[in-house]
This record gives sequence, structure tokens and C-alpha cells, in this order.
Amino acid sequence: MEDATKSTWIVAALDQYEGHLVRYATWILGDVERAREVVQETFLRLCKEQPARIGNHLAQWLFTVCRNLAFDVRKKENRMSPLKDPETLPVTDDRPGASLENEETMSQVLRLMETLPKNQREVLRLKFQSDLSYKEISAITKLSVTNVGFLIHTAIKTLRKELLAESAKRRIQ
Amino acid sequence: MNINPEDPKWTAYVLGELNDAERAQVEKELESSATAREVVEEIRLATDLLRHELTQEQAVGLAAEQRHAITSAAAPRRVRPMFRWAGVAASVAAGLLIVATLSVQSLFRSRQAAPVARTVTASLPDAHRAETDGRENAHVNPSVVSRDKEEDERNRSQLASNIQEGLQVQQGQQLQQAQQAGSPAGSGGQLSALPAYSFAEKQAYRRLAVASGPPPAAARTAVADRVDQRQLNAEAYDLISDNPFIRVTQDPLATFSIDVDTASYANIRRFLSMNQLPPKDAVRIEEMINYFSYDYPSPTARHPIATYTEVAAAPWKPEHRLVRIGIKGKDIDMAKRPPSNLVFLVDVSGSMATPEKLPMLKSAMKLMVEKLGEGDHVAIVTYAGSSGVHLRSTSGDKKEVINSAIDALNSDGSTNGGAGILLAYETAMSNFIRGGTNRVILATDGDFNVGVTNQGDLIRIIEEKAKSGVFLSVLGFGMGNYKDSTLEKLADKGNGNYAYIDTMNEARKVLVEEMSSTLLTIAKDVKIQVEFNPAEVNAYRLIGYENRALRHEDFNDDKKDAGDMGAGHTVTALFEVVPRGVEVEISAVDQLKYQQRTLDIRRVASGELLNVRIRYKDPDGNTSQLIETPVIDRGTAFNNASTEFRFAAAVASFGMILRDSPHKGQSTMDAVIEIAEKSRSGDKNGYRDEFVQLVRKARALKGNQ
Repeated sequence: MEDATKSTWIVAALDQYEGHLVRYATWILGDVERAREVVQETFLRLCKEQPARIGNHLAQWLFTVCRNLAFDVRKKENRMSPLKDPETLPVTDDRPGASLENEETMSQVLRLMETLPKNQREVLRLKFQSDLSYKEISAITKLSVTNVGFLIHTAIKTLRKELLAESAKRRIQ
Repeated sequence: MNINPEDPKWTAYVLGELNDAERAQVEKELESSATAREVVEEIRLATDLLRHELTQEQAVGLAAEQRHAITSAAAPRRVRPMFRWAGVAASVAAGLLIVATLSVQSLFRSRQAAPVARTVTASLPDAHRAETDGRENAHVNPSVVSRDKEEDERNRSQLASNIQEGLQVQQGQQLQQAQQAGSPAGSGGQLSALPAYSFAEKQAYRRLAVASGPPPAAARTAVADRVDQRQLNAEAYDLISDNPFIRVTQDPLATFSIDVDTASYANIRRFLSMNQLPPKDAVRIEEMINYFSYDYPSPTARHPIATYTEVAAAPWKPEHRLVRIGIKGKDIDMAKRPPSNLVFLVDVSGSMATPEKLPMLKSAMKLMVEKLGEGDHVAIVTYAGSSGVHLRSTSGDKKEVINSAIDALNSDGSTNGGAGILLAYETAMSNFIRGGTNRVILATDGDFNVGVTNQGDLIRIIEEKAKSGVFLSVLGFGMGNYKDSTLEKLADKGNGNYAYIDTMNEARKVLVEEMSSTLLTIAKDVKIQVEFNPAEVNAYRLIGYENRALRHEDFNDDKKDAGDMGAGHTVTALFEVVPRGVEVEISAVDQLKYQQRTLDIRRVASGELLNVRIRYKDPDGNTSQLIETPVIDRGTAFNNASTEFRFAAAVASFGMILRDSPHKGQSTMDAVIEIAEKSRSGDKNGYRDEFVQLVRKARALKGNQ
């Protein structure tokens, strides 16, 4: 029964976070296939963990491991092709489906978001895409909670100035 | 008050990141400052928009084989029979292994009479390669990081997969031969093209082959016989003793739950179609009677169910009266049915590989998906050694998505029903449609051999989950390893119904024609209590429903679970009644010494034969409603009874013959055929015709009685 519980636990974790993690890793790596490999490895590592040890830090654990693995992969690849600067990787253009979109159809918000510093973009994604708390984001990114709060607030403030006019129309109830 | 819009606390407030004290402080400022309110409102707009835009971004999950690799790693290792066997094989000398593999081949060759020499490493036909790759990649995928014990594990699975390949080479050859021979069965690599060797059978062959090396030709038949024998013995049925006659003076009440299952009839049909008589305990007469739909009018009163009763002579014992109690659930127009949230829980264990199991289920599921609409949702959860969500809850109008997920179902591994059931219920609950149909559809041969296999535990899980408002349908498949007893209990406890799918026609009947009654519950916990009038009745006997008996006090206990009725469903129960003045042999119980029955003379003299009370609850209700119907016997002869009455009596009579019931009286196959042939009117789908055919078949096997 213990085994069965663990297996159920893993499957539940997969169902809840698989999509989030692949999206996050894709953003870091700029490539879905490598992102999938990283996420697979993340879950295989989870299989080695005791559910009790992770408790309710599952999201934090998964994102942290996934992030570290993704950064490792990126570092390794940059060593091999030193001309590529990690900060200038065309990450967003490799979003799944992005090739189908052109500049005009890509939402204004996301385009504006790309003008923000990378650390702000990351915390925004973790906050709004994966619904993690400041505390979890702090643990994942190794930034302080205050810093996370500051980055998000600053990013929002920058964005809202240009967005408010349009947002009133497009706001989803 | 001085408001600083640069303070991150405003964003933190909107995002719910402040502690109680901080939040109280911010709220105080919001009350007193319009500027603060404006700042917060702007942040709120921006965050809503961001959240919307970012969550719109498409999230692709893992590839199927990656998920599989993970769920395999999470699954309990020792329990997959292929590996377990491989473990044994690994411990014997490699030389022996080669002999063993060769002997498997020679065995198969001998059965197919088509000697094609190949080694186990021979390249696979493409259809099979694709299938094998999907499964085995999980264990050889280079991105899987190996750690300590896993290496060993992988070697074993590699070994097992080699053996498996050897087997599949054989299957592939059969397939090719079938195609070359122009056999109509060659349907593009479908398993249905292969002879129906069950997984268990193959395993048994392999084991025997390992133990003894290539057996001489004469011994092979013996091996095959032994395997067949073993398979038959693996089917499990609970003992049923026919309900006895009970004297009204001993107990004037009969209390039982309705039974809408139909599995027993389909199972009997399967046996007869293989020219075998079904085991007595596989014959549940109420499920035979209720396999057929009866023409009772749809209820018009305020209740969702209506009762129809009829009394006439019992054809197998003319001095006895036969009382039919029919219940009909209201019809619901399929076009107006509430949306469905369906979770298929599919057993993909090795034993499901044979054509009449998983391949047939897949075709049946597609038929059903065809009928679903935009408002409906389908998810597929699979279970074998591990369980996983194969298809997340998907709208019924995305038929290609659903169908390709169905196509991708492959059998593999052993069966942990327990974890799968939990996961299926979780999936159903997280996609719960209020006011809609929420149902888990379990499709299995019922051989739960891993994890929670203890029947008591499984039943407790199901009973617990049934309280969530998610109903259960159980579809039984296959033969040889079929665990009828487990499945019936699961459906019974899970607010559900149970059908046995032996043919594509049956699949169509259960999943398409009767979709509304299978899926849409209109009344639950339907219980029947019949009180007999001692002035009219000497003794009575409920035909069938042996495992549906309730204690009398449970009738009014709304906490006691009972059977459920679907839209348009009919349920029929038959009582054989010994009228006052007709003697019956019942092992005598001595007259009670202290008790004296006081009878209400006025009511006893009413001439009523009996009184039927039915209790039911609305599908989402907790309090039962009562319907009462008194029944008067007008002395109708059997031949003057309604068509529906006569047909039900014929089915009951046939059931009693198959069970060798001590109460079968003058029942004969001939009489059953005669009655059934005259009561076939309104048989739209040919089920009653088929019944007549089955009785003929049984007569050929068993004789007339």
C-alpha cells in the first residue's frame, strides 16, 4: 500500500506540475525537447524522495530541482558554443507555438514583458504562471523574500503604466 | 496620510502575500485614502492581465514515454510479473535461458504448424516494433539517470524485453501469415488478428518451457490441457444458494435491493458460445431477467420511478402464483441530458492483451465517445503495475484527441486496481460537474494482483469514494481469469452498475444504446420491501437477488446503500407465491411458544395478496421517498399474462434450469423456448431472439431439463 500511495503521489505531482515545469524549463532553455528531458529527470529524482520528507514543499522542490538542472544544461551548452550569451538567448521565440505567431498577434503584455530585466521576468512567470508564493519563489531563485516582492512590484509598476488603458478592455472577469 | 505608490507592500497586498498585521495596516490605509485605493486598483488590473496572458501560454507536458518512465520508476518494482519472472530467469545459467527461449518458439511453432526459424534478436515487424519501443524505451532511455540498484533492474527488464520480443516475433509471424492467407482478421497489426492466447497462457507456456525444455509432441497436448484447466479454475464466482420458500407466518417481509447489473447473462452467453455450460454460481437469475428491457410506461407522477405489478400462474408450477414487480425509471431525452464527466479507468495489465479484452474495449470506447458532446468531459486513467492519467479531462467535442488517446492504450504489466481506483476518483472529483453525471467507468478482467488486492480493502475504498457523488460503472471483460465476484461487489458498493462485455454487440448495447441508463442515475439506493398478506399467502420465494438481500430494518435506514436506477432503466423482480390452501414442503420450524401475531382483520380481509413498498433517493439526495403499491391477485392464467410477464418468466425458468434449482418444478428448455418465442413482440434489437438461440444451445449441451 505504501508503494501504491507513493506511485499515486508521483502521478498526482506529474498531473499538477508537469505542464508548469516544462513551460518554465522551456523559458530557461529556449527549447521544448531539452526542457522535457530536464523535467523528466526532475520527476525521476522525485521518485527517489520520501513524500514525508518533502511534505507540502512539493512545488518548491520541483521548481528548484528543475531550475538547477536547466541551468546546468544551459551552462554546459554555453561552454560548448561560447559565442552564445545566456542572457540573449531568444527564449520567448522558442515558446511552443511561437513560430505560428507574429509580432502583431503576440499580446502586448508579453511583448512588453520581454523588455524587463531577466530576473523580473522570471519572478513574474513563477508568480503568475505557476502561482507560487513569494516565499516559494525566494527559495527557488535564492533571492530574499523582500527582493522578490520588490522585483514583482517594480515589474508590475513598469508594465501597468503602459498597459492600463488597454487592460480595462481586455480584462478577464 | 502619506501614500507611497513605490512601496512593494501594495503589490504584496493584492497578491495576498502580507501577514495579518501588515494586511490590517494596508486595509486601514485603503479605508482612509482614495489614492491608496487607486494604486491598489491599478495593480490589481495589471496583475489580472499578466496572470491571464501568462497562463494562456501553452503548456506542453512530457512525452508519453517520458511519463511512462517516471510512473514506472515510481511503481513498486518487484511486482511486475514479467520482471519477476525475468528475475528467476536471470538467476539460472545463460545457456538454459537460450534453451528456454527456443523451446517457447518450438511450442508456438507446433501450435501454429508454421515453422519459421528466427532468433530472439531478429528484427521485429514494424507494427510490433512501434508498440514494443513505446513500452521498453522507458527502461533504456539514455536520459534516465541510472543509480545503484537500477542498473540491475534495467538488465532484468532488458532480458525480459528480449524474451518478450521473441514472443512478439512469433506473433508478428502469425500476423503476416494471417495476412498472406488473406484472412479477414489481418487488421493492421491489431491484436485481434492473433489467436486468443491469453497473457497468462503464454506465461504458463514459458514457465513450463523453462522447467522442462522442449517437451515431446505427445506431452504438448497435455501441457495445453493443463493450461486450459488452470485458466478455467482461475475464474471466481461466489457461491449462490437459491432463496428458499418462506412461510408468511414465519416472516411476512421480504426486503432486498434492486439489481440493475446484466453481467451474468452476458457471461452465460459467453460460456454457451464456447459450447460449455456456465458454472452454477455464475448464474444470477435477477441479472438474466434484468438484462432485458421491459415495456413499462414511463413514470408520470412526481416520482422519478414507477412500479408496475402483475400476477399470474407460475409456468413451472401452475398451482403457484408468480408475482412480477416492475420498476421503471423516467426516460430522459439524450439531447437534454445533463453534461457528463466520465473517467475511464482502464486495466492495461498484461492479462488484458487478448483481442476480446483491451482491443474490444478500445473499439467500444470510441463508439461511446462518438455520442458525447461539447459539455461532456472524458478522462482516461490507466492502471497496471503503476497507474497514471492517460488522458486528462477533455471536452467531448475533441474527438480526435480522445480517440488517439484510446488508440495509444497498450497492455503492460500487472494489476494494481487499488491505486488506479483512487486516482480515477480523484480525477472525477477534480472535474466534478454539479448537476451532471459524474462517473468512473472501470474496465477490467478483475484480476487485481498487485497493491490493494484484498477485496475488503478495495470495497472499503469504493464505499468511501461513493459518498463523493461520483458513481461507478464496472465493465467486465475476457475469460479465463475473470473475477466476477470482485467486480460485482465493487459495482454494488460504488453506487454503480456492472456489465459483462463479451461481444462488440454487447459493448454497443451497454455503452451506446443504453448509455443514458448506464450513465445517468435518476434514483439511487432503491430498495424493495414486500409484505405478504397471511390471509392470501401461505409461503413465498424471491427468485434470484440472493446477494441483494437486506435486513428488514435496513429498508428504512437511509444510511444503507442499495442499487441505483438509470434513466429509462427497468428493473424486474419475480416472487413465486404459494397461495393459502396449497401446501408446500418447507423444513418445519416449530410453532413459536410465546409470540402471538395480532392481525389487522380488516386489512387482512382486503383481498390484497401483498403490498410493495419501494424506497429511493434522488441522485443527490440523502433522504428516501416511499412509494406503496398494494397488489391484488385476479387469478390470471399464465397464457393470459402480458408479453413482458411471460418473457421474464421464461428467463427465470431458464436460469433455474441452469442452476439446477430445487425450485425449477416442471421447467424444461422446450417450455422456455415455447414461451419466449411467443413473447418476443417489441424486441427491437433482437435480444429476445438471441435468448431463444441461447436456450437451444443450452438444450443441446444439457438436455431438456
